[in-house]
Amino acid sequence: MTPTEGTTPAVSFAGAAKAYGDVRAVDGMDLRIERGETVALLGRNGAGKSTAIALLLGLRPPDAGTVELFGGPPEGAVRAGRVGAMLQEARAVPRVTVGELVAFVAGRYPAPMPVGQALELAGIAALAGRRVDRLSGGQVQRVRFALALAGRPDLLVLDEPTAALDVEARHAFWESMRAYTLGGSTVLFSTHYLEEADAHADRILVVDRGRIVADGTGDELRRAAGGSRVSFDLAGRPADGLTLLPGVRSLEVRGDRALLRTDDSDATVVALAELGAIRGLEVAPASLDDAFLALTAPAPTPAPTTPAPAPAPAPAPAPEKESMR
Amino acid sequence: MRDYLVLETRRTLRDPGFVIGGIAMPVLMYLLFTNLGDDAGDWKTGAMVGMAAYGAVGSALNTGGGVAEDRAIGWLRQLRVTPMPPHQVVVGRALTSSVTVLPAIAAVLGAGGLINGVRLDAWQWAALALLLWLGSVPFTLLGLGNGYRLTGQTTGVANMVANLGLAVVGGLWFPLALFPEWLRTVSGFTPSNRFAQLGTSVATGQAPPVGGILVLAGWLLAFGVYAVLSYRRGAAND
Repeated sequence: MTPTEGTTPAVSFAGAAKAYGDVRAVDGMDLRIERGETVALLGRNGAGKSTAIALLLGLRPPDAGTVELFGGPPEGAVRAGRVGAMLQEARAVPRVTVGELVAFVAGRYPAPMPVGQALELAGIAALAGRRVDRLSGGQVQRVRFALALAGRPDLLVLDEPTAALDVEARHAFWESMRAYTLGGSTVLFSTHYLEEADAHADRILVVDRGRIVADGTGDELRRAAGGSRVSFDLAGRPADGLTLLPGVRSLEVRGDRALLRTDDSDATVVALAELGAIRGLEVAPASLDDAFLALTAPAPTPAPTTPAPAPAPAPAPAPEKESMR
Repeated sequence: MRDYLVLETRRTLRDPGFVIGGIAMPVLMYLLFTNLGDDAGDWKTGAMVGMAAYGAVGSALNTGGGVAEDRAIGWLRQLRVTPMPPHQVVVGRALTSSVTVLPAIAAVLGAGGLINGVRLDAWQWAALALLLWLGSVPFTLLGLGNGYRLTGQTTGVANMVANLGLAVVGGLWFPLALFPEWLRTVSGFTPSNRFAQLGTSVATGQAPPVGGILVLAGWLLAFGVYAVLSYRRGAAND
């Protein structure tokens, strides 16, 4: 415990960058996570979340910029047992039981929790004697959660922690995590599920093309994205030119329905009325989904008056869409 | 470190492939090769040393297969985010190997003494086991070098080729006397031949020849460098 303990953030990135060949996976990232915060790293696949986490854990050195945990190099925090992590591409460790594995990892840390408690928190107490390589995908994922928790770390880093879980297991997972964070730990988790970020994080960092493009609570992001969503039936009408209507930022066509995101719904609706395009017209506030799409839009310079090119029926954002219920 | 050693030793001994290929096979081959022909005698002792060496080489190389597997499944990566220092993981693996070569050595020597009636002095048994144990280190390093450099599948193939090649050319399976002259010369430069020679010299009551120790030391150095280079390359990509 240093004198600066209370003031240094748990995580800080300053201009951190990491490239793999020509791909700039993390491209000048600045972020700061205070102690005790639960923060979501939200972005689509390939946005740079996992690379950011690899930098954060000291698994990779940044090409440029600095990455610090608790005011020092990540390796130092990891060696000191202040970090527990659930990595994304980890599979079952063969020929070892759940209890043996969790006990081993817990034993590496200076002040671990009892193995039984870690298993209990991860919801796998009944599996202690089972071999890890004979469990289902969801069960293995909970074992990995137990490994992250077992050392009672100050900072818990979870890379896509719910990716292989069904709805029920996902629910149970978040409950366990909530129980753990009552102890005042800092948590950073990555996800491409908007609703998870919204429901379980104090703050959401939206990552796109290796940068943090937005930082705030779910409500703040919704407000920042602004505007409304106007939708109507095309009824066979061509969608060309709709992006040129007043206020319209982007257009999406789903089947016969056009979805316009607009900064000025009144002006857009009036213009649509003039065109006679009002069948099934609906105006709704922007969702977090819309906010996410606005923030990570593939257009280089999405300005309110020069409409972004209409995205094709959402090839890339599709997974995010599906996650909304 | 001790915990890691226990964990990895357990994991190795629970691998049926290891138990069958690394322990049962050398014993079976030894009993087969020494009881099929009619003239047994010295060959029962020579083959015992050769097969124990073969088993030890296989077990030592197998450590590399474990490393390749652990890299593939992300277990080494997971270890890197625990407080365990990375060098302890490598050293722990090498030490695991020094434990897991013991069953093969013990099993073949046991078969020789108990089933084939090989008679040696107590000090000879002890020295034989000790030299076979220590002499397996270069092969552990070769295995680790493969494991950190190659993928899981290619490590398996590379280890198998190395194991069989070293066993045959090194004269672990057949007496060198059966080899043509040129092959005998080649054999003298293999680590496996010189490894077995450590054992046979003890079994015949002589000191291991200096030339043999030098050749083995050369391989120890070469495989050590290979392992370090592979580790640097592999660990950076874990």
